[in-house]
Amino acid sequence: MFVLITGASGGLGRAFALECARRGCGLYVTDIDAQGLERAAVGIRRQYGVPVETYACDITDDSAVDGLIQNAQDKGIAIGMLFNVAGLDFEGAFQKRSFNDLASILRVNIEATLRITHKALKLRDEKRDFYIVFVSSLASLYPIPLKATYAASKRFLLDFSIALGEELKPQGVHVLALCPGGLSTREDCLQAIAAQGFWGNATTNAIETVVCRTVSKSLRGKTLYIPGLVNNLLRFGARLVPPSIIARMLHKRWLQAQQQWLSIGNQ
Amino acid sequence: MKTIVITGATSGIGYAVCRAFAQMRWAVLGVGRSEATCGAAERKLREEFPGADIRFFPCELSKQTEIIRLGETLTKTLRDDFGGRLDALVNNAGCVRNYYTTTEDGYETVFAVNHLAAFLLTEQLLPALVEAGGRVLVTSSQSHLGTKVRWGDVMLTRRYRPLFAYKQSKLCNLLFAQEFNRRFAQSGVRCYGIDPGLVNTGIGEKNTSGVVKLFWRFHKRRGVSADTSAKTYAHVITSDDADSLYYGQRGPQRFSRQVNGENAKRLWALSDRLCGTSF
Repeated sequence: MFVLITGASGGLGRAFALECARRGCGLYVTDIDAQGLERAAVGIRRQYGVPVETYACDITDDSAVDGLIQNAQDKGIAIGMLFNVAGLDFEGAFQKRSFNDLASILRVNIEATLRITHKALKLRDEKRDFYIVFVSSLASLYPIPLKATYAASKRFLLDFSIALGEELKPQGVHVLALCPGGLSTREDCLQAIAAQGFWGNATTNAIETVVCRTVSKSLRGKTLYIPGLVNNLLRFGARLVPPSIIARMLHKRWLQAQQQWLSIGNQ
Repeated sequence: MKTIVITGATSGIGYAVCRAFAQMRWAVLGVGRSEATCGAAERKLREEFPGADIRFFPCELSKQTEIIRLGETLTKTLRDDFGGRLDALVNNAGCVRNYYTTTEDGYETVFAVNHLAAFLLTEQLLPALVEAGGRVLVTSSQSHLGTKVRWGDVMLTRRYRPLFAYKQSKLCNLLFAQEFNRRFAQSGVRCYGIDPGLVNTGIGEKNTSGVVKLFWRFHKRRGVSADTSAKTYAHVITSDDADSLYYGQRGPQRFSRQVNGENAKRLWALSDRLCGTSF
């Protein structure tokens, strides 16, 4: 079985690629960063000896994604599982970002994700079940001032994924939404976690455990995975408190975290 | 003029080793992580030792493409200015991570930086080392004792524990030294593992947080200064009869029984595969 992974050259995408390779799956990976994608592919082949096909492209470009699909069909790659990992966020308040930045969050997190999903379903082997994982976020569970666009885009993915899962269930398609807290993916993420202090560490999940459980849960047909006890408690708490109050609390927290982060960045 | 390459040279033990050899008038080629830290270390050393030949090369040792580029730059520098001879290579750069992280090559960061980088850089510089009958030193640690390589999962993708990752990488350093000597001792190059002792450096505070950082902040105070530790490196590199594998402040030291031929060969084969080399 081949697994299609977007955003596979770094962070969570690369972690999923490694996990699937460890389980012996073939990989069909894409990312906008062609060099990074190639390096990760080389490392994965050396470690696990599985076939790794790469196709670097910008998934916000419709014809590029057609190329991605066509390439798979030409090479006879049958996809059994799709990981929608590619995503985007910019730090900073709504008015501090250009509109273009904000629009690109929606283009990548929502539009491109739906595009890939729509087209990749054509690559499925009808005789076998198909598995889709959407990477939403812990941020999807609350309205978050200063991360408003990002959090709302992840909320879209969460609701969409639950609805799509129900819709496609009769056709043997299983859809899982993953809502992780902080993950130790890149240097700047490690810094961001440190900047958030106690809550940063408390909501951070071990990435190696998250990817392993995500794959297992998806294969078992689960629809939602929120890693970590603290995160599940936060989710439960969020249901009891009105959104406007949560927003006020989170606003305070992110103001502090961003100041902290900026001061680390300037050191 | 004798030449020495030192990684992790901008602070801690590496910087102290730079000072020791600049004082002896060796040409010091330091490797650090960024332009900024390299520039600062270079300036400070040149101020302290005017007239000494000190050069720094920035390289992100977690990336294999960068290590290969560094190997080419160093080889060219050695060829152009020092007759292609390298008298000592000190693989000292090391790191600790709070969490499981991977490099751009998809390898666990601590394993990649502490072991694989040393393996690949030594492979790159072997011809220059052979030319001079040089010595290779690897910064290992007493923490390699009481641990084993987790062969089924070297990258520690299951239950990642920061301290275990560090200990395993330090055991790998000694395994590397052992197998290196089996292969290359007859060509006049020898490799040693060094136990720097507990040294008061910042290793446990870079890119870590919470408990690890706090622990290290207090623990390191009991350590010796990096300059004391640098003496061990200088002794092993300059002495005529260093024929043990593992040296500490008081001379040759006992090492783990895990450091044996079988494990060493196995790690070597794995490292070759992960670096795409035939070292």
